[in-house]
Amino acid sequence: MSEQAIEIRDLRVDYGDFVAVRDISLSVPCGEVFGLVGPNGAGKTSTFKVLTTLMEPTYGEVSIAGLDIFEQAEEAREVMGYMPDLAPVPSDLKLWEFLDFHANTHRLGNGKERRARVDECLGLVNLLDKSDSWCKELSRGQTQRLVLAKTLLHRPKVLILDEPASGLDPLSRREMRMILQDLARQGSTIIVSSHILSELAEMCSSICVMNQGELLASGSAEEVRSQLGSAERRLTAVVLGDANPVVSWLEGRNGVSGISIDGTRASFNFVGSDEEQGRLLRDLATAKLGLRSFEEGSSSFEEILVKVAEGNRES
Amino acid sequence: MSEKSKHQAAVPAWKIWANPIVLRYARSRLRITGFGVHLMVVMLIAGFIFFAGRAAGVHQLNFDAVGAARGPIIPLLVLQGIVLFLLGTGQVAGGMTAESDEGVLDYQRLAPMTPLAKVMGYLFGLSIREWALFLATMPFTIVSVVQGEVSIRYFLQLYAVFVMAAILYHLTGLVAGTVMKNKRWAFLASMGMVFLLYTVIPQAAKFGLVYFKYLTIYPVLEEVLPFLIESRVGMVMEGYQQLVPSAKFFGLNLPQYVFTLISQAVLSFAMGLMLWRRWRKNDCHLLGKFSAVAIFAWLQAVLLGNSLPLINQGDVFPSREFDRRFGRFLETAAEGWWPAPTEALVMVGLYGLVTLFCLWAMIVLITPGTDDQMRGWRRARKFGKTRLPPLWDSATSTPWTVMMAAMGVGGWYFFAKSLMESRWYPGLDLTGGTLIAMVLVIFGGGLSMQALLEAKGKKYTGVTVLLVGMVPVMIAVIVGLNSDRLIPAAIWLAGMCPLLWPVYGAYMAIPVDDMPRDFIRAAPNAFWFWQGVVILLSGWLLVKLRESRKAIAEASKE
Repeated sequence: MSEQAIEIRDLRVDYGDFVAVRDISLSVPCGEVFGLVGPNGAGKTSTFKVLTTLMEPTYGEVSIAGLDIFEQAEEAREVMGYMPDLAPVPSDLKLWEFLDFHANTHRLGNGKERRARVDECLGLVNLLDKSDSWCKELSRGQTQRLVLAKTLLHRPKVLILDEPASGLDPLSRREMRMILQDLARQGSTIIVSSHILSELAEMCSSICVMNQGELLASGSAEEVRSQLGSAERRLTAVVLGDANPVVSWLEGRNGVSGISIDGTRASFNFVGSDEEQGRLLRDLATAKLGLRSFEEGSSSFEEILVKVAEGNRES
Repeated sequence: MSEKSKHQAAVPAWKIWANPIVLRYARSRLRITGFGVHLMVVMLIAGFIFFAGRAAGVHQLNFDAVGAARGPIIPLLVLQGIVLFLLGTGQVAGGMTAESDEGVLDYQRLAPMTPLAKVMGYLFGLSIREWALFLATMPFTIVSVVQGEVSIRYFLQLYAVFVMAAILYHLTGLVAGTVMKNKRWAFLASMGMVFLLYTVIPQAAKFGLVYFKYLTIYPVLEEVLPFLIESRVGMVMEGYQQLVPSAKFFGLNLPQYVFTLISQAVLSFAMGLMLWRRWRKNDCHLLGKFSAVAIFAWLQAVLLGNSLPLINQGDVFPSREFDRRFGRFLETAAEGWWPAPTEALVMVGLYGLVTLFCLWAMIVLITPGTDDQMRGWRRARKFGKTRLPPLWDSATSTPWTVMMAAMGVGGWYFFAKSLMESRWYPGLDLTGGTLIAMVLVIFGGGLSMQALLEAKGKKYTGVTVLLVGMVPVMIAVIVGLNSDRLIPAAIWLAGMCPLLWPVYGAYMAIPVDDMPRDFIRAAPNAFWFWQGVVILLSGWLLVKLRESRKAIAEASKE
C-alpha cells in the first residue's frame, strides 16, 4: 500500500456550465480520519462519487491505496467501502440477506464464512438482534448503521462516508462516531463528509473545507480555523455562585471580547492560539472565583461555514 | 495472510448459478410466500391445458393416443410465452428502473464484479421467478412431447429459439429499464414492445421487410408446427409448410431456426453491448460511434439479404401470401397471380421509413449533448488535444450520420431497383430522379435531426419532432376531411411530415398510375417543395451546429 491512502490531482467535475469541483488536489495519508466539510453544493458528494468510481470526472487523476481508480476500477472497489448520503436499502431483503449479498459480491468465502462475517458486522453496529428483520422495517438511524455494516463487510482499507450521521439522533451519532474512531484505531483510512464542522472536528485528525468546488483550507481543526481567518471561538465559564466577579476578571484581557452573563454562566469570545486559550483558562481557574467548568461552544465552528455559505449567496 | 488473499477468485460471467446478483434475486423472488402463489396459478393453468387438451383430443376429436398427447404442446407454448416473454420482460425492465429509483443500484456499481457479470446477473436475476415458472411447466411439455412421439430435433429447435427470444426480449427490457426513469412506464413499454413484435411487426414482414419476422418465434414455429400437432392435421400443415420458404440470406439457404437464432443472437449482442457500456461507465452513450454504424450496416444487410432472394419467386409480395391462402376461394388462382405496382410502391416506401427510423434511433444513441461536448472539450484540452477524437462520446456525430445515411440510401435504392427490375414489372423502371429523391429524404431527415440534437439538445428536438412530425398530418387530415377540393392542399401539408417523406419519395421513384388523382397531381410538387425547404433548413442547422461547436470549444477554455 502506498503511503497516501487517497491521492487526488487536478480533479474537475462539470455539470454543463456548472463547475461542481474545480481542479482540486489533495492527499490523505494512511490511517488518517479525514473530514471534508462544506455547505450544500460545495462539491463534496461529486468528489466522493468520483472517488468511488460512480462518476467519471471531466478530468483528473485519482488513486486509492495506490490503485488508479480509472484504470483499475475493480481492484480499487475491492479496497474501498462507500456509504452514501441517506443510504437506501432494498425493501425485499432481510438484514442478513442484504449483507450476505454484498459479502458474496466481494467473494468473502462460502455461505458459512459469509454468515459469520455478516453476524460480526451486524454485532459491530448493534443490529445483530434484528438480523432476521426486513430492511424496510428499520428506522433511519438503524438503516444508516446497517449500511455502515455493509460498508465494513470486506474490511476495506479506505472508508468513504458521505454524511454518515445525517438523520441520526444524538445517541446514534455518538455510536457512529465511536465505531469510526475504533476503525481508525485499527488502521483504516476514513474520509468522511459533513456540513457540521464541529462534528468532524471531534473525530477527524485533519479537515478540509470545500466551497463552490474549491478547497478553502485544510489541516488540523485549529489550522483550518486560522486559515479561514476566524480564530475566534465562544467560551463559557460556569461558576458556583455569582458570575459577575468572572466578568470583572475577564474584562480588559488580551483576546477577550463580547462578554455576557446569564446567572452562573459567563460567556465570551476569545481570539488566540490553543496555548493562549489554555493559559487564560488556567489563570481563571486559579483566581478563586468559584469556577466549576468550562465549555467551548460549537457554534464558533459553524459560524465559519455560515460565513462561507453567506459569501456564496452574496457572490 | 493478506486481506486480498482472503477473497475468493471472481465468478466468471457465464457461471450464472453462482452469480451473486442472481442468488440475491433467487432469495427475494423465489420466497415461498410470493412465489408459491404464482407457481400455484401457473401450475393450475398448465395442468388444465395438459389434461383438457388430451381429453379433447381423445374424446372430442377422435385422435389416437399419440395425436391426443400432442394436443397440449402449442397451448402450453403460448402460456410459457406469456410468462417468459410478456411478464418476464416487464419484470426485468420495471425491476431495473426500481433499483435505480431506490438508489440501491449504486451499490451494485461498486461491487467488484465485471460489467458482463453484472449484466448476466440482472438478466437472469430479475426474471428468475418467470424462468422458474417456465421450468415448472416444462414437465407437462416434455410428457406431451414424449408421449406424442415428437422428434427431439423439432422440440430442441423450437425451444432453442424460444429461449433465445426470451433472452433477447429481456435484454431489451434491461436496456429500457436502464434508460427509463419510471418503473411503471418501463414495465408497460417493454411488455408493449413484445406485444407489438408479435402483432404489428409481422405485418411489416409481409411487406418485404422479411427480417422482422426473425425477431419472433413465428418462423421456427411455422417450420416445426406440422410435427407438433396431431399427425393428420400435421400432414395438411406440412403441405402448406413446404410452400413457406426457408430463410434466405442473399445466396444462402438456411433453416428458419438457424437464421432466427443468428438474427436474435446478433441483436442480443447489441443489447448486451449497450448494457456492458453502461455498467462500465454510468454516463456514457449506450452505443459507441463505430458500433452504431456497424449495427446499422448489419440491419441494412439483413433487410436486403432476407428480401432480395424472395423477389424472383414473388414471395416477397404480401399479395402472394394472400393468394396462396385465399386464392382458391376467391378463384383468382386460375387467372394467375401478379403483383400490382402499388404493392411495390408501398414496399419501397416502408423500406425507406424503416431505414429512416433506424437512422434516427442510431443518431439519438450517439449524438452528444452540449454538456457532453463541454466536458469532452475540457478533457481534451487537459490532455493537450486541439480537437475531440472522433470516437469519443463527446465528439460530433455528423460524419457518422453521413456514413449511415449513405448506407441507408444505398440499401433503399438497391431494394427499389431490384424490385422494379424484376420480372414482375417489365414495363416499369425507376425514374431518373429516384436516387436524388432518396438522398434528399434520408440525408435531409438524418442530418437535420442530428444537427438539431447536437446543437439544441434532446428536449428541443423532442418538441420539434412533435410539431413537425405530427401537427402537419393532423391539420392535413382535418383539411382533407372538410372538403374533397382541399385534398391537394392536405397532401401538400402532409408532405411536411418527415414520416411521410419516404412514401412521397417512393412515389417519385415509382410513379404508378393507379393512385388517387389528387395525389398524382399534388404529391410531386409537394415533395420537391418540402425537400427544397429541408435542404435549406439542414444547411442552416449545420451552420448553426458549427457555430455552436465553436462556441462550446471556446467556452471550455474558461
